[in-house]
Amino acid sequence: MELLRPSSLEELDGGLLLHGGTEVVPLLREGLLETERLVDVRGVVPRGVDGAVIGAGTTLAELEVEPAIPDALREACRLAASPQLRSMGSLGGNLLQATRCWYWRLGYDCRLHGGDRCHARDGEHREHAIFANEFCASAHPSDVAAALVALGARVRTNQRELAVEELYRLPDEGNRSTTTLESGELLLEIELPPAGASVYLKAMDRKRWAFPQVGVAVARHEDGSPRIALAGVAPIPWRIEGVDDLDAATPLPRTEWKVPLARALVRRALAALA
Amino acid sequence: MARLIRTEKEVEGRFEEVWIVVEEDPLEQWPEGPLEVVGRPAPRKDGPERVRGEARYTADLRLPGMLQAAVLRSPHAHAKVRRIDLAPALALPGVRAAIGPGEAHGLEEEAGFAGAAVAAVAADTFAQARAAVKAIDVEWEELEVVLDPDDAVKREQLTAEPRTYERGDVDKAFADADVVVEGTYRTQTVLHNSMETHQAICEWQGDTLHVYISTQFIWGIRQAVAQTLDLPEDKVRVVCEFMGGGFGSKNGPDEYTFVAAELAKRTGRPVRCALTRREENTSAGNRNATIQRLRAGARGDGTIVAFEGEFRNSVGWSGWNASTEGPMRMLYDCENVRSVTYGAKLNTPPMKAFRAPGFVEGTFGLECLVDELAAKLDVDPLELRRRNYAASNEGTPFSSKNLEDCYRMAEPHWERRHEVRSRSDAVWKRGVGMASQIWYGGGGPPSYAWVRLGSDGRATVITAMQDIGTGTRTAMAQIAAEELGIPLEHVDVALGDSARGPYASISAGSSTLPSMGPAVRAAAADAREQVEDIAEQRGLPADTPLQEIVAVLEESQILGKGARGPNPTGMSVLTFGVHVVEVAVDVETGEVNVERVAAIHDVGRIVNPLGASSQVEGGVIQGIGHTLSEERLLDPESGRILTTSLDSYRMPTIADVPEIICEFVDRPDEHLTNLGSKGLGEPPIVPIAAAIANAIRDATGAEVHELPISREEMLRALREAEERAREKEKRGAPAAV
Repeated sequence: MELLRPSSLEELDGGLLLHGGTEVVPLLREGLLETERLVDVRGVVPRGVDGAVIGAGTTLAELEVEPAIPDALREACRLAASPQLRSMGSLGGNLLQATRCWYWRLGYDCRLHGGDRCHARDGEHREHAIFANEFCASAHPSDVAAALVALGARVRTNQRELAVEELYRLPDEGNRSTTTLESGELLLEIELPPAGASVYLKAMDRKRWAFPQVGVAVARHEDGSPRIALAGVAPIPWRIEGVDDLDAATPLPRTEWKVPLARALVRRALAALA
Repeated sequence: MARLIRTEKEVEGRFEEVWIVVEEDPLEQWPEGPLEVVGRPAPRKDGPERVRGEARYTADLRLPGMLQAAVLRSPHAHAKVRRIDLAPALALPGVRAAIGPGEAHGLEEEAGFAGAAVAAVAADTFAQARAAVKAIDVEWEELEVVLDPDDAVKREQLTAEPRTYERGDVDKAFADADVVVEGTYRTQTVLHNSMETHQAICEWQGDTLHVYISTQFIWGIRQAVAQTLDLPEDKVRVVCEFMGGGFGSKNGPDEYTFVAAELAKRTGRPVRCALTRREENTSAGNRNATIQRLRAGARGDGTIVAFEGEFRNSVGWSGWNASTEGPMRMLYDCENVRSVTYGAKLNTPPMKAFRAPGFVEGTFGLECLVDELAAKLDVDPLELRRRNYAASNEGTPFSSKNLEDCYRMAEPHWERRHEVRSRSDAVWKRGVGMASQIWYGGGGPPSYAWVRLGSDGRATVITAMQDIGTGTRTAMAQIAAEELGIPLEHVDVALGDSARGPYASISAGSSTLPSMGPAVRAAAADAREQVEDIAEQRGLPADTPLQEIVAVLEESQILGKGARGPNPTGMSVLTFGVHVVEVAVDVETGEVNVERVAAIHDVGRIVNPLGASSQVEGGVIQGIGHTLSEERLLDPESGRILTTSLDSYRMPTIADVPEIICEFVDRPDEHLTNLGSKGLGEPPIVPIAAAIANAIRDATGAEVHELPISREEMLRALREAEERAREKEKRGAPAAV
């Protein structure tokens, strides 16, 4: 395997991109990703905070102590992973991390891997989705993604500019991907629109170093309306308009417990901004 | 003088009758309380070495020419190898040897669980070995899979005959009882997940096999390897200088040792076989899941008159049927007890001993049930425990039991419950719970130690024991220093090599200190007596410091030897304790915070209060993981293990650790050896789960019946409690007008 370290975007030419490596390296080790060419993009992805623009190469550890970013984002960074992982993991990498579904991680021939069944639906799914879980019951693990969706952030890639929300799509029969990313596309910057107060609340099964059972991000926007996004409840970050939308959840037998949990956290987050 | 006795030997709650030669134990116990060195806090002698990374663990060893092995494991929970072809593996670069089913002990044609070892490869690098394992061509015949313990019991698919126990007249006692409570409790499968994965390096030198291994029992490895490979025991040398955790899972050699030995034989090179973290999660043992259907009956005055329990242990493909019923039989003075314990044989990884096996699970059920009884009787839980205090172990006297002192010491912690509850608000409910502990931990013979004393007045304790990370070196040095009357810094401990010292006990069943400590003291006393002889011959006054007496010896050395004496006959040697736990529960989100744990234990004399506190803290933290977050999950269809990494198998982090207060009765057991100490490795993990569950009930009224107390279980129990309260209100409300 060769490792490339390009210093400009022009040098990019295929291969598997990695930044902090906290996601890509374990996936390589498990054989879930394979490549002959590994491209370390730390030399080409912007890093640091400049006003409302955050380099996608900024680490979570840098963001968790950054006073100039909204509370929801800072808190989502602080509550993610462990100090070691946050020191290495980048904002862009965090947005693109794959599901923690154990079937997917163990290489089961599940729908996300191109197979014809969701093993979690019939099997062990206590950590899985309560929304949009018909085709694939995986739950999106990114705290940061939920925060950015709630904040209405936009992302600039080497090919286009789009809302963070548009970065994600539900997998379906024809396309198993959970992102809209094109081949060779690379996240460069995140831009935050002006927003009022924001908050991120996270339920974990231990105090630290756990993916969200349910994560709730709420941001108050210029018109005064709150915008809510959830982590850990659907295959992608999930928008709801209000707590009543949780009545429409379609939990699996062992994910029913997430519904009252999400309800409590959404109420709490809205109250915190009231 | 040595004498031959037939005695009952206990390890991890399992008994066997053995013949052993024991030596008399003529030394009088030291007086109670802190002495010069013993009973005073001592930092670990090997602490700096460990934190600087200088301590050499088995995982650190790299022998010249060493090859790396990888193991092919069954992807199926139950399958048979119909055909296997190792040739594609042997053709790959770096591969030196490959072996299949039957070619090393533990490599088998029939795989009874996903993760069972089938074949193995040795190569120059681990990556090459792993690639070669993937290239092995296997044709599997899949067999029927049984994963459900109730299903296994129904089919009578058991690991052994069900174990039954009965005393008194249980049916009559229940019929006459004023109050009866019953409940079904479930505990999950949890993993040891030792920091240092299971591993061995084997090297043949002539006809001697050198085994470097991460183990809790050097001499057990020596014996098992010699027996299996048909070698004289002296032709097997076992080395373990430092080891990174075992918790009961490293008592025997297992397949990785035999794989390394066979591949080393075939290649003429040292071979390392080390489990990966994934393998550690699938193939290194577990604390088996249990289902406990329990019933208790009491008179109105709080006298418990009957216990009944049906226990189903999910043993797995092999393993033993741990004493989940033990606490029910032993903890309380109850005349009528009946139990049956099934060991379900399943297509799941075999259980292994895990820090008080059986008693951890059984204490959760029993001590939750006793609190439910207390609630129904409207008796204070501490008072109920005192009223049913067992004065003997089913008629056999205890060598010592100071549980009443534990209860007395628990009072100030228990008294805090009013103040703790008063700090509850609409969201966070606070409460206090308790649970008692009973377990073994007396150790036993045989165990030997030598003490070598030089003319510089420094001593070395020599014994071929292992230090499994519990502070063994420090405690042994303290005992020798005390007996010799020299400073702790002047004592070294040489251990970890079967070729360099006498036989020593297993470090399991909380037996290291009570087995080895008395032997070390006896050896030091033997040396001290020789020093006193010399002083007398030199006409020195009796209080002359040792260093002065031996100063004239030049190259001469004083060699003391000592042995562990027998356990008291006709007595039960057991450990006791009580935990008082404070929790806060977020009743909207089901989050549980364990805020404070007071752990009070009665384990005889405390040799190193600092080391003892560390043991208790470790047990409490591991117990919090067992109680709140850890669970090994299986795919219910295939039986494959789903939680195979440290992010999916969730052990507590330092952020999950509450304030832990450790207290000890610290009274020597006057009947137990020259030391009066029992073991403390296991006791602190025994009561914590029930104490947390009882605190949750105190805080919220919710009855949790399942471990782990996940948010799912907590929210279920809260909802149930709410419904119960609503029902009660409805019934109690005045008729509508």
